[in-house]
Amino acid sequence: MIHFDEMACLLYLDGQLEDLRARELLSHTRECGACRELLRSLEHESKFLAGALTEEDELVPARLLGSQARSAPSWVWSLAFAAFAAGAYWVWNDGIGPWLDQLNNAGFGGTNLMSMMLFSGAFWEGWGDLVDILQIAALLGVVILALGLVRRRLRRPAAVALVLPALLVAMALPQPAGAADVRRGRAVLVPSGETIHNDLIATGPSVRIDGTVEGDLIVFTRELTVTGHVTGDVIAFAGQALIDGAVDGNARVFSQHATLQGSIGKNVTAFASSITVTPGGNVGGGMIALAGEADLEGKIHRDLMGMIGRSDLDGFIGGQVWIRGGNLDVASTAEIDGPATFMGRQQPSVAAGAKLASPMRTEITQEVGRSRRSAARQVIHAIIGYGAALLAGILLLTVFPGFFRTTLREAGAIGMPLGVGALAFISGIFVFVLGILLLFIGVTAGLAGALLYAPILYLAQIFVGTWLGNKILGVTSTQTGAAIGRMALGLLILHVARLIPVLGGLTWLVVLLWGTGAVLMGFYRMSRLESAPLPA
Amino acid sequence: MSPAEQAGVREQIARAQSGDAEAWGELYRLHAPAIFRFCRRAMPTREDAEDATMDIFIKVRQKLSQYDPGRPFSAWLYTVAANHCWDLLRRRKVRQDLETGEVENMPLAHPDPGQLEQLIEKHTSQEVRRALDHLPTRSRMALVLRYYAEMSYDEIADTLGVRRTFVGVVLLRARHQLRDILGGHGAANAAAGGAA
Repeated sequence: MIHFDEMACLLYLDGQLEDLRARELLSHTRECGACRELLRSLEHESKFLAGALTEEDELVPARLLGSQARSAPSWVWSLAFAAFAAGAYWVWNDGIGPWLDQLNNAGFGGTNLMSMMLFSGAFWEGWGDLVDILQIAALLGVVILALGLVRRRLRRPAAVALVLPALLVAMALPQPAGAADVRRGRAVLVPSGETIHNDLIATGPSVRIDGTVEGDLIVFTRELTVTGHVTGDVIAFAGQALIDGAVDGNARVFSQHATLQGSIGKNVTAFASSITVTPGGNVGGGMIALAGEADLEGKIHRDLMGMIGRSDLDGFIGGQVWIRGGNLDVASTAEIDGPATFMGRQQPSVAAGAKLASPMRTEITQEVGRSRRSAARQVIHAIIGYGAALLAGILLLTVFPGFFRTTLREAGAIGMPLGVGALAFISGIFVFVLGILLLFIGVTAGLAGALLYAPILYLAQIFVGTWLGNKILGVTSTQTGAAIGRMALGLLILHVARLIPVLGGLTWLVVLLWGTGAVLMGFYRMSRLESAPLPA
Repeated sequence: MSPAEQAGVREQIARAQSGDAEAWGELYRLHAPAIFRFCRRAMPTREDAEDATMDIFIKVRQKLSQYDPGRPFSAWLYTVAANHCWDLLRRRKVRQDLETGEVENMPLAHPDPGQLEQLIEKHTSQEVRRALDHLPTRSRMALVLRYYAEMSYDEIADTLGVRRTFVGVVLLRARHQLRDILGGHGAANAAAGGAA
């Protein structure tokens, strides 16, 4: 007798056997006890399997049913908050603090810097009061956001992250009072003899001020020439900027080439490819310069602080000098009345006739000039950095496992998070928070914004590192122990790679963009997770 | 489900499709436990199952307008869930090719029905679920689709991306592997199968 095999029996039970064959099997089992028994056992097994699989053996997590499962042990939150506070303190202490100190050294610290950064009176005369309110509001906002994140465990964080800066900027943007005079055209000209008793906003390919502006001058142009008199500040976004007249206030110049050959009553802030202060140029206050080249032949009555590729110092500096850059030439005609510091790749050249209040303090930052001690310090720093990142990662994995897994999954897409990270870096948060807040609201608010961005940048390495660890060891499980092991391996590789000159920097740039994108997408996904399934 | 209940569910779905958040919430509360349990059977860890459940409902809400009311809602839901879980598992690349090869060459043995009965009697449902964790991904998924979601062979074939005629082989192979594990011969098989 030919028996039916197990496959045929299974297909019969599942209704998958052709009719003719099914009839044959049925007829066969009437006569064959073995096949009948097999059929019965298989049927029994199917029922047993279905019963075992559908049995309600575990409770559905409260996270899926509602919002009851949001509490976590208080010590975890305390630890998380402490870690965040420690991180913020570290960023302030090692990153922002020294920078502010340098600004203070250069005479631009504290309230001076604040006043420099603000467009006082540009649009509205009530700026002074508003600034204080905005700064307090911004700081309060950051504190509330931090508390909210901790308390509500990242519920809709993306929405909060978007709303808060938007709110701040909305608050920051003053109502453009009708006080400002706006001029547009191919060639905007304020001729000699004309006086504008107001602030002036001028846009066009060419702007020329030969007359008088009794207020601030704000310009967006390819070519700016000021030969007249501005009683307030000059804020210029220009391809070429020439200030040959008199500015009683500050000059803020964002330009390809900036030339100052007139007089600036207060301070100069210049971001330019090249800056020239001609022998006739006179700056009543100090100068901050970020530039490729600077020829400083005129007079700067207070401090000079700059990050400048190549500096030629021929004129007078009334205060301190702090320059970081490629090289510095101090001509015999130069005079520096305060202490001078130069940090660069090579020794500065100081001509014999130059008058310096004290010998120039020099720090050579070239790689080859590093001592063995600094190399050891670098390694120790890398080890501490690795340990801190790993701890932060473990904390994140423990406290926010859902967010961690979601973000890690987003990191796996590679292209998308890289794109998002680059976008965020170039046009998003960085410009938004650092640029707008710093300029419009004030330094404190800008720094507070930066503190929001800093943790995201810091977390970037954790997700890229874990992704890397997963790639090497394979994703076989998402259990905590395995995830930590993979994170440790990935972070180790990243931190070792960081020590490689040039390549390490490039690697970390990619890591930061990639990880930042993943974190932002993770926030977005989490907000969708929180909002989508449950009723509004 | 009575005709009145079915009509109620249909109305609820229609309201959810038109953007009624409350109706959607009801649908979610009604089906989330079953989908979570489905994911719990299909995915390797509880955390994976939780994440998958959330993701599935996001997808379902986005695709709700595509739902055909002529088809049972839970069946459609399981199809979305199955596709999502299988997609996640496949992305983890758990030795898929090796498994397929093994299944293609599977010998069709005629088991002893007595031993089969004994095996069923000796083991609890919990042991079966635990054994499921040691099955290769495709086998595990096939069993879950068939015996939890009660999917047809066509639906299983669509989800797993195999020929319809191959589904029976996959299922039978999965049962063999499960028997081996329950019978104590599963350690080696589980290791070779690359348990997910």
